[in-house]
Amino acid sequence: MSDPLNPETGGSTRRTVHSASIERIFNHSADTRSLFLRLADGSNFAFIPGQFISLELPLKDEVRVRPYSIASSPEDGQPLEICLNLVPGGAGSHYLFGLSVGDRIGFTGPFGRFTLDRAPEVETIFIADAIAIAPIRPMIRRALADQHHPALRLHHAARTEEGLLYRREFEACATRDSRFSFEPALIEPPSGWTGGRGGLIDHVERRYVTGDENRNRRFYICGVGKPVFDLRDLLRGTGYERRAVRYERW
Amino acid sequence: MARLRIIFESGEPERVIEFDPAKAPFSHDGQPGSILDVMLGHHVHLEHACGGNCACTTCHVVVKAGMDKLSGSEEAEDDLLDKAPGLTPTSRLGCQAVVESDDAEIVIVIPRFTINQISEQH
Repeated sequence: MSDPLNPETGGSTRRTVHSASIERIFNHSADTRSLFLRLADGSNFAFIPGQFISLELPLKDEVRVRPYSIASSPEDGQPLEICLNLVPGGAGSHYLFGLSVGDRIGFTGPFGRFTLDRAPEVETIFIADAIAIAPIRPMIRRALADQHHPALRLHHAARTEEGLLYRREFEACATRDSRFSFEPALIEPPSGWTGGRGGLIDHVERRYVTGDENRNRRFYICGVGKPVFDLRDLLRGTGYERRAVRYERW
Repeated sequence: MARLRIIFESGEPERVIEFDPAKAPFSHDGQPGSILDVMLGHHVHLEHACGGNCACTTCHVVVKAGMDKLSGSEEAEDDLLDKAPGLTPTSRLGCQAVVESDDAEIVIVIPRFTINQISEQH
């Protein structure tokens, strides 16, 4: 690992590429899976909840770099878990879906400043869209580990129930800890669904903008594309401090 | 033709790329026509840990000339740059700064280091 106080690489310099083997594969659904990676040389791998690694994918014409958030917790050590979707026409995701247990893969990292390394001091809202729960999962675990943590809430939205990755885990956390609440929402809810319905922005506006005058909250938002910016703009534009609204857009 | 001169703080020999911005994209990563895209497409390495998706600062560059020939920065880029080491008033993310003029003369410096690779020990 590099020394965080003496970073010597970057820019034009090439970093050390770690070699990892795939220890396990778990299919969340037909097009979403987790790969569990263990460093081939047996070394440790330290990271902060929310960080990502950059996989080096040897495609036919070049090595392409693609980032994947670490969905497991530093507290668990290895294997590291990354989640990925099979993207139609996506050369990188097709390559990764073609890998098997025992195959090797190279990566650099960890990277990223969308992190939470200790329990926040004020009420904190985590907002995740489908597979973008990956970086938020270890953040929540880190925050819950502090017995004095403030109220924490997770809004996790997906198109269908199978997109609510780690749902049982979050439900169990909410059962054990009265200061953590889990509010899943579905865009296409089945009959009998009792959770939230519709997209995240409506929930967020109702609960945290028009719902009360409290602007002393923190937000961690992760998702794909423009909706992440829409949420950022909604919150920053209605009285929340810029630095209180953290986000990562995939 | 636009011209991109690249100075490396690490001491590597500088490079000059001449290119036609209208022919972008030149690679698979970064905004089409961005400094990152131009460099990768001309086989000049610039780190881009997030794949050129404006999610880290490893492609941080300091623009020494031609700032007015680049696209303006958006809030997401500025939010990230706030955390970049060695931030200057002319810092940009290579993946987001698009060369907008076909006669642009851009000069950039690639900083030696980044703090994106940070860690904690357990």
